[in-house]
Amino acid sequence: MSRLLIERPLPHGGRLVERVIEDKKVAQKLWKSCKTTYEIKPTLHYETGVPVRNVYREIMSICYGFFSPVEGSMKQAEVERILKERRLLSEWIFPYPLIFDISKDDLNKLGVEVGDRLGLTLKGKPFAILDIEEIYEIDPEELAFKTFGDPETNPEVVREKFDKKHPGWVIYRSHQPWVLAGKYTIINPPKFKAPFDRFWFPPRKAREEFEKRGWRTVINHQTRNVPHVGHEFLMKCAAFTGDVEPCHGILVNAVIGVKRRGDYPDEAIVEAHEAVNKYGYIKPERHLVSIVLWDMRYGNPLESLLHGIIRQNMGCTHHMFGRDHAAVGEYYDKFATQILWTKGIPSFGFPAPPTDVPYGLLIRPQNMREFSYCPTCKEMAYSETCGHKREKLSGSFLRGMVAEGVQPPSIIMRPEVYKVVVKWWKKFGYPFCNEKYVINKEKELEVELEDL
Amino acid sequence: MAYFMVVLLDDSRMEKIKGTDLEKNIKYMFGGELRLLEVEVNEELKDKILAEFETARVDSRGAITDVPVAFMRELFNQVAEKKSLGPEVVEGVLAKVNEIKELAAKESEYLPPPEIETE
Repeated sequence: MSRLLIERPLPHGGRLVERVIEDKKVAQKLWKSCKTTYEIKPTLHYETGVPVRNVYREIMSICYGFFSPVEGSMKQAEVERILKERRLLSEWIFPYPLIFDISKDDLNKLGVEVGDRLGLTLKGKPFAILDIEEIYEIDPEELAFKTFGDPETNPEVVREKFDKKHPGWVIYRSHQPWVLAGKYTIINPPKFKAPFDRFWFPPRKAREEFEKRGWRTVINHQTRNVPHVGHEFLMKCAAFTGDVEPCHGILVNAVIGVKRRGDYPDEAIVEAHEAVNKYGYIKPERHLVSIVLWDMRYGNPLESLLHGIIRQNMGCTHHMFGRDHAAVGEYYDKFATQILWTKGIPSFGFPAPPTDVPYGLLIRPQNMREFSYCPTCKEMAYSETCGHKREKLSGSFLRGMVAEGVQPPSIIMRPEVYKVVVKWWKKFGYPFCNEKYVINKEKELEVELEDL
Repeated sequence: MAYFMVVLLDDSRMEKIKGTDLEKNIKYMFGGELRLLEVEVNEELKDKILAEFETARVDSRGAITDVPVAFMRELFNQVAEKKSLGPEVVEGVLAKVNEIKELAAKESEYLPPPEIETE
């Protein structure tokens, strides 16, 4: 093999974490060994009571290996190390604390101790077990501030102090104060509902799919949005990265979880991306839509690190990062993600890029700027190559147009993509996520569980 | 950074500004497929909009977006009434903030979808 060819990277941490029991008899035995059970509840906004997170998504992403090498709810020492150096106790880099938090009342009611096995139910059905290795208390507000950094301690990239307008900060601020730490094991794998079922490619399956398709090099496109033509061009052009030839595949990996009001519904997002390949704008042989369960923290450079981990675990060789990656508001520098992946952010524990530090990542960043419409070229053009005055387009601008009932011109949104938006608009009575959608979605979730 | 808000112009809106100086300010985007006006927003008004409407955001162009549809409708009404694109337009909209919020509360539950075939 030529030394110029890029091979599929190993999972982060060296091996894929897979903590899912498919054998019902083994699962039943494990379930019977639980001291007691606990019904997983959504995390509610600490002020408004609206759902902001469901820990079941973290359990799914951990047990299916998206977050390898993380295996469970983190111990106190691990959380502290992450907040200080963004590293697990095993040395591998990781951006966020992931914990199983409960209220003091629930802790007292459960009466569990270190060494106990706790059965976790979801929608009333057995779902997973948690082997408790440590129980400790946190201060959610302190955790929220430390997770995202601040302008004084992280001056390279943090521009504003975090507050309750930041949805990721709200997630940590809304955590319950007691943590049960230990490994999770799914003993009753949930079944995804349509349309999510056909987009479920956990890391092992994704790697097998790439192998089947002959995709040695794959570039990931992170999304939480319906694609406009700018996204389409970003995908097409970023895919020219590769080694001796362009990337064989483009993996669209949509983050499915609690959404912000004004975002598109998850159902519309995945089907709209699918429409891009279904109608040939990018041929399906080169384009695959998939999902990951995660309630976005919107941590810009930190989120990009998690994205790199997830997609490396899925087998991607490259990851495209745009301006304001996974960002909200003006808390971070607009190019904080690019700074992380090209120079590093010392105050977050990265004196060099995450690919150049010990126990770092293998996935290669492809830092992209913007695509916009050039009336002179009469096509979508790249900001760094087109020398004309261009017309910027943004998802927000499009949302405004959609809300006013104006069909976007096909040069900025493909008609088939718009039809998908309208299809789900008809279903939910609304084109975007509103409170009703979020509450219903968090009640119903994306999955169903059978009896064990 | 200069901020602005976009007012899209369909045929019925074009009728309402016909013959005014506003016509000189019409911009065409995306190969002439979109007609629009841009209303000027200063820093102070931008902050007020973001504080009053939690979905509002500033996009990469400096445009303020994701405000309720009721806000956008009133924005056009103010443009047509004042025959201006200056900050007084947004000031006029914000003077009706309670009324807009009442309408927005209803529209956050339901917006009629366009009548197009989707299957």
